Amino acid sequence: MTNFFLQALAEVGTPSVLGLIVIGVLFGIIGGSIPGFTVTMAILVVFPFTFAMDPVSGISLMVGVFVGGYSGGIVSGVMLGIPGTPSSITTVYDGYPMAQKGEPGRALGIGVASSFLGTIISVAVLVFFGPLIASFSMNFRPWEITALIVFALTLVAGLSSGALLKGLMAAALGLLITTVGYDRNSNLRFDFGLPALGSGFEILPVMIGIFAFSQLLGNIEKLKDEDSEAKKIDTNVTIPYGQILKDMAGQKLNTLRSSLIGSLVGALPGTGGTVANFLSYDQAKKFSRHPEEFGTGTPSGIVASEASNSAVAGGAFVPTLALGIPGDLPMAIMMGVLILHGITPGPMMFEQNPVLVGAIYASLLIGAVVMVLCNLLLVRWFAKISLIPQQILVPVVLMLCAIGAYALNNNLFDIWVLFFFGVIGYLLWKAAVPLTPLILGVVLGNNLERQLFRALELNESWLTFLTRPLSALFLALAVASILFSLYQDRKIQRIKNAALRENA
Amino acid sequence: MLTLTKDRALALAMVLIVAVMWVESGDISPPTSWQPYGSALFPRILLVMIGLLSLLILVRSFLVKVPERPGAKQLITEWFQSRRTILALFLLFGLYAALLPMVGYIAATIGFLVASLALLMGINTRRKWMINLSLSCTLAIVIFVVFRYGLNVWLP
Repeated sequence: MTNFFLQALAEVGTPSVLGLIVIGVLFGIIGGSIPGFTVTMAILVVFPFTFAMDPVSGISLMVGVFVGGYSGGIVSGVMLGIPGTPSSITTVYDGYPMAQKGEPGRALGIGVASSFLGTIISVAVLVFFGPLIASFSMNFRPWEITALIVFALTLVAGLSSGALLKGLMAAALGLLITTVGYDRNSNLRFDFGLPALGSGFEILPVMIGIFAFSQLLGNIEKLKDEDSEAKKIDTNVTIPYGQILKDMAGQKLNTLRSSLIGSLVGALPGTGGTVANFLSYDQAKKFSRHPEEFGTGTPSGIVASEASNSAVAGGAFVPTLALGIPGDLPMAIMMGVLILHGITPGPMMFEQNPVLVGAIYASLLIGAVVMVLCNLLLVRWFAKISLIPQQILVPVVLMLCAIGAYALNNNLFDIWVLFFFGVIGYLLWKAAVPLTPLILGVVLGNNLERQLFRALELNESWLTFLTRPLSALFLALAVASILFSLYQDRKIQRIKNAALRENA
Repeated sequence: MLTLTKDRALALAMVLIVAVMWVESGDISPPTSWQPYGSALFPRILLVMIGLLSLLILVRSFLVKVPERPGAKQLITEWFQSRRTILALFLLFGLYAALLPMVGYIAATIGFLVASLALLMGINTRRKWMINLSLSCTLAIVIFVVFRYGLNVWLP
C-alpha cells in the first residue's frame, strides 16, 4: 500500500491537482461559512466541474471542498454568531463569546488548528480501519450485502428525528426511483410511454433536485421570518499565533478524544457532523475541570466542536470506501462522483484502484494543510463573503444546478428531471419527510436490487437471509434500529404529552 | 368533515402514487422460466411498503387531535398564496429549462438570473438594478467560458 500511496502522492502533487485542491478548499470554506449554504450544497455545486476531469483530479477537487466545507463553519460561527453549517453549532457557543470579548483571532486560530488536527487524526483512522474493514467485507456474499444495505437504510430512516414512518417511506421511495427504466434483464419499467425514461434517472439531477431545491427555497422562506438587515462586522482580525500554540498545548487530550468521536460518528450511517459536534462538546464538558466555563468562550469548547466535525471527513470515508455504503448526504454525493468516474466504491476498490484510494488519503492530508493556510491568511475575506445575501445566492446556485445537470450528459432532459425532483423534494420537505433516507435510497437502489436477486438466483429460498449468520445479524440490527427508534419516538411523545398536560 | 393536515395530504398523495405505479407495473414483462422472479417483483415489494407506511401515517394522523381548520380547498388556496415567491421561482426555473434549447445558454441564463434576482431582491432602487444586471451578465459569461473553454463542455 505504501508504494501505491507514494504513487498517488506523486499524482496529487502535480501543480494542476494541487491547484484544484486549493480551489476546492477555498470553495468549501466559502460554502461552509455562508449560513444556510452547507457543505452538501458546496459539494453539489462543484460536482459538475469534475465531469471532464480524470478521476484523481475530480476526486481531489471534491475532497478539497469536503475538507474546506467542514472547517468553513468556524468563520461565520465566530464572527457572526451564526453556524455556517449545522455541524458547527457548538462552535458558536464558545467561539462567538470569545470574539465578543475582543479575541476573534484567537477563537478562529483555535478553531482552525483543531480542524486541522481533527482531519489528520481522522485520516489516520481511515488509513488503519478502511483496509481492515474492506478485507473483512471481502467475505460478504449477496445475502450479507443485501442485509447490510437494508440495515443502513433503516438506521438512517430511524435517526430521522421523530419521523420513523416518514423516514422508512422516504427510503422506499428512493429505492423505487431507481426502478425506472431498463432493468438487469433488459425489461422496461415505469417509462409511462416516454422514451427518455428508458435509461432511467441519472443519480445527480435527482439528488440535486431533491436536496438543493428544498434547501434553497427553504432558505428563502426563512428570510421572511428573519431580520434581513445585513450585519455589520469588524473583519480586521489578527491571529495571535503564540497564544494559540499555548492554548492547543493544553488541549491534547480534548483534541484526541473529540477527533476520535468525530471519526467514529462519521463512520456510522446517518449521523454526520452535527451529532459528532454535540457528542464531543458534551464529553469535553463532562471531562473538564471547569465545566462552568463552557459557553462563555473557553478554548476547550471550540476545540471539542471543531476537532470533531472536521474528523467526520475521514471517518465518513470508511464505510463509503470499504463497504460501498455512504453514511451521510455529503458521502452519498461523493459516492456519486466515484460512480460517475467509473469506480465502484466497496471492498474491491482497495484492490482494483489502490492509487485512487491513496489519492483520497493524500488529498485529505494536503487539503488539511491548505485549509489551515487559507483560513489563517484569508479569514477577513471569508467573513465578508459569508454575508452574501440569500436573495443573490439562491438564483445563482439554481442556475449552477441546472448547468450541472445538463453537463452530465449534454442532455436537456436532465434539467427537467432536476426540476421534477426539485418540486417533489420541496413538497416532501414541506410535509416534514426526511430527505437523507430518500437520497440514500436513490444511491443504493440499483445495488440492493442486484444483490437481492443474485442471492435469490444462487439459492431461491428467502430463508437463507436468516440462516447465514452475518446476514441474519444485519437484519436483526435493522429490526433493532426500527424498534429503538419507535421506543425513542414514544418517549418523546410521552414527554410532550406530559408537558401539554402540565400547561393545561 | 375531514381536516386536511400535512400528514394526511402526504399519505393520500402517496396512496395515489402507489395506485398509479401499481397499475403501470402491470405492463412490465412477466416472469419467465429463466427469470422466475420477474422484473416487477422488486418495485412491487417497494410499492406495498410505501402503501402500508402511508396508511399507517394516515391512521396515526387521526390519533392526534387537530384544531378545527377551514376546508381543504381554502387551505390549499391559502398555502399557494403564502408561497407566491417560491411558486414564481419554480415557474421561472421551468421557463429557463424550456428556453435553454430555444434561445441558447447565454440569453436564457441572463434572462433567468435577471428575473429571479429581481423577484428576490426587488427592483425599487437603481443600485439593485445595477447589481442585478452586472451580476447576471458577468456570471453567465464566466460560467460559459469555464465550461466551454476550461472543461470542454458544450452548453446549448
